[in-house]
Amino acid sequence: MKPFYACNSPEHHLSRRQFLAGMATGALGIMGGGFSSFIHSAVAGELKSSEKRVLLIWLHGGVSQLETWDPKPGTSTGGPFQAIPTTVPGVHISELLPHCAKQMHRLALIRSINTAENDHAKGAYLMHTGRKQMPNMEWPHLGAVMAKLLGSPDNPLPGYIHITPRGQGGFNKQDAAFLGPRYCSVSLADGKPPENLLRPEPLTESADRQRNDLRQRLNNRFLQGRRTAETEAYTQSYDQAAQIMERRAVFDISKEPPKLAERYGSHDFGRHCLLARRLLENGVTFVKVTHSNYDTHYENFEFHIEQLGEFDQTFATLLDDLDQRGLLQSTLVIVMSEFGRTPKINRNYGRDHWGTAWSIALAGCGIQGGAVVGKTNADGTAVTDRMVGAGHLFHTYFRALGLNPKKNHYVNQQPIPMADPAASAIEEILA
Amino acid sequence: MSYPLPRYRWWLAVGLLITLAAAAPAQTPLHQRIDELIAAGTPDFERLAAPLADDAEFLRRVYLDLTGTIPPAAEARAFLNDPSPDKRRQLIDRLLASPEHARHMAHVFDVMLMERRTGRHVPPAAWHEYLRAAFAENKPWDELVREILSADGEDAQRRPAAKFYLDRDGEPHLLTRDISRLFLGMNLTCSQCHDSPIVEDYKQDLYYGIFAFLNRSFLFTPKGKPAVLAEKADGEATFQSVFDPAKVTKTAAPRLPGGPLVKEPMFEKGQEYEVAPGKDVKPVPKFSRRAQLAAQLTAPENVQFRRNIANRLWALMMGRGLIHPLDQDHSANPPSHPELLNVLADEIGAMKFNLRAFLRELALSKTYQRASVPPPGVKEVAPETFAVARLKPLSPEQLALAMMQATGLTDVERKALGDKLSEAALYAKLSGNLGLFVNLFGNRPGQPADFEATMDQALFVANGKLLRSWLAPNAAGNLTGRLGQIQEADAVAEELYLSVLTRLPTEEERREVADYLKERTQDRAAALQELAWALLASAEFRFNH
Repeated sequence: MKPFYACNSPEHHLSRRQFLAGMATGALGIMGGGFSSFIHSAVAGELKSSEKRVLLIWLHGGVSQLETWDPKPGTSTGGPFQAIPTTVPGVHISELLPHCAKQMHRLALIRSINTAENDHAKGAYLMHTGRKQMPNMEWPHLGAVMAKLLGSPDNPLPGYIHITPRGQGGFNKQDAAFLGPRYCSVSLADGKPPENLLRPEPLTESADRQRNDLRQRLNNRFLQGRRTAETEAYTQSYDQAAQIMERRAVFDISKEPPKLAERYGSHDFGRHCLLARRLLENGVTFVKVTHSNYDTHYENFEFHIEQLGEFDQTFATLLDDLDQRGLLQSTLVIVMSEFGRTPKINRNYGRDHWGTAWSIALAGCGIQGGAVVGKTNADGTAVTDRMVGAGHLFHTYFRALGLNPKKNHYVNQQPIPMADPAASAIEEILA
Repeated sequence: MSYPLPRYRWWLAVGLLITLAAAAPAQTPLHQRIDELIAAGTPDFERLAAPLADDAEFLRRVYLDLTGTIPPAAEARAFLNDPSPDKRRQLIDRLLASPEHARHMAHVFDVMLMERRTGRHVPPAAWHEYLRAAFAENKPWDELVREILSADGEDAQRRPAAKFYLDRDGEPHLLTRDISRLFLGMNLTCSQCHDSPIVEDYKQDLYYGIFAFLNRSFLFTPKGKPAVLAEKADGEATFQSVFDPAKVTKTAAPRLPGGPLVKEPMFEKGQEYEVAPGKDVKPVPKFSRRAQLAAQLTAPENVQFRRNIANRLWALMMGRGLIHPLDQDHSANPPSHPELLNVLADEIGAMKFNLRAFLRELALSKTYQRASVPPPGVKEVAPETFAVARLKPLSPEQLALAMMQATGLTDVERKALGDKLSEAALYAKLSGNLGLFVNLFGNRPGQPADFEATMDQALFVANGKLLRSWLAPNAAGNLTGRLGQIQEADAVAEELYLSVLTRLPTEEERREVADYLKERTQDRAAALQELAWALLASAEFRFNH
């Protein structure tokens, strides 16, 4: 019952056999004793030093570019806040971001984004996949793509983790589209570890080992002459479960020094960013932290004072912390939303959805700190220089991470371009 | 407009074929012809073919395939001890006649037809009950499809049948794609924008021929009432190929692949409607294109319709279609056993689409009843030979129901119902647990039901509360409750293996259980749960073999 969604649309599942073949070449060791034997190997050590990661700070609802990276003080659209100088001469950002201003030499700004998309869900899809949403077609998230391209197969942790402010945790299989659920995002609701990660109370570690030994003996007997790619995938899912249980401390921020936790901030976003750093440090390829909610149709300015007050110090701490641990140069940091906010201030002192002329910030791996690309006009109502869309951003992320965006995914032997072939990278921002 | 007909065994050749099939005396039962044709399909067949499965493997397999769950330990014991040489046939007949069979078919066809789509127009429970009732009365497949594709949701009684249309929002492209895949075994998706570059047979005009039955239909919501499917009297199925530099626009008339052109009466302008469209008025055209679709699709002349259902039922039982994948029936992807597929398609037509009778023949075949391990000395057997039974992963519903039976939850509920026990009453008690399994183990809405084994599933089995609660001993006599009452280790092993894996333990396994328990005299209850868990989490349980 496998529909062939193809022509330019991707088939949604690689065949299990191809999938396993891919894993085998990734040194997973599918026929042998799981992959625990690889964890401490020299191979793993080498991979570690060349590993690259991505941190996405998702300012949910649509942060205002005018209150952040592209202030227009003293204009009819500029609002009440001033612009302040930064560590990069000539570059000013909103006074709501004093700590970020001190990080400006690490940040690069793109001030000329036009995605022409004012719908939350469609904007989010576009910014996560680099493609417009279309019927009969699902594109994988950047996180799933990077989990696949950059993830080390010897790491049992999920390659794409999303720390959400609240809600339900779990595996979001749709995020990986045709790449397969192995690369989908795992949500940690309010930073809580994945469901069923912890061994239930009365079961001791040794009893758990004993029952698993018995399970494996049963499997070995049953699979004599019956082994298939599907049975391998099944038995392997238990190995993966055991390994992530083994590493449960990765999800526990109480192991961090209290002083550092304080610098991150005692609010949810602070805790979530600290957890994000812990995850990145432990080899999770792509971590997304959602900070909610910037959908400020009412009282835009009050809300931005409050929200950015949390964001500013925490984000600056996170950059410092990553840098001090030597992780920043190998971690691409992206701060973005589904769109920006209208220059026009509505009668509720709010700003509405605005995909026409807005900004994002990048830092870290492959990014030229202090670079500012693109311009909007005096009151921020239009892009006047270097207009780019989500496709350009996708190309840029690939290049910053040392990947070739012109390569293809292969789905049923059909080439599917990884990034929109109609777009190209923003070279000026690359280190 | 004429078609390159020969690619499909269609209208022209069909009359003759049917005559021949009807004339051929059916002296050899279908299940024997299946075995002959399967054997004839592989040169080295006798060497490669697995012997018949033992009684235990057969029992578990046929229970899962025909009723969607495993048998209680007592039934397994009775079947294994039954000396009757005819017991497999008797079991097949009993299971096919059981209410559990109708339930299982409702699950299977729900997933096949709706592909786990959620929808707001027809509640899932009403749709499920519609399917269950249809399979309980063994409604012929062509009749069921006619009901589904003729329903517009207007008549409250027949509304559940309209789910196929309504919960695809009447979207004509989605419907064209799914009708071609699910009822004709032809995935024409690529042909929406151009002649398929991959499948030569799948031309763009085939796609738009089906589309033309549907593109005048749309979802209409009468004031204060649920949405129904309505239709306009105008709107042509026009298309261009994205590969055509000249951008020539063509128009397709309603026509199934290779089928006859649907004749359309002409009306004078202004006379096209029974009920003319207007604000809040559901239009009714004098001639409905959509109404022609069900009849055309299920017409005896439409070989593709028979091939598709024969192949799908084959795959359901054998774990793989003769045409594989199921929706790639075209000349460049011939069936593994072309003659067998012709025979099956013609026979299911001759049986007037009696699905139960057809499944019975499949189940009676040696091909179905073979062991799942190749014979000694044979290493690997290509799956398309059907010389060895294929492992089939349990569907989420099968997995949930089999786990409830294995852990004894089903037995406890059965007992609790007492004289109120019926299949429906028992299902009502158990079905609340299915949703969680569907979420964890099922495919995403609208996506194929491919097998995926993921870490979250394993964590659920390893550490989840639900399974833990099923494994906790219960005085009402669930599995671990029963095992706790048994002193002797050997008897524990027997009850455990029969309950969970539907077979007796081997000598090695008996010793294993005894050793496990010997070490754990202090916490025997916990040890029994661990033993049961290991069997439930095993590959032997996860797959139908």
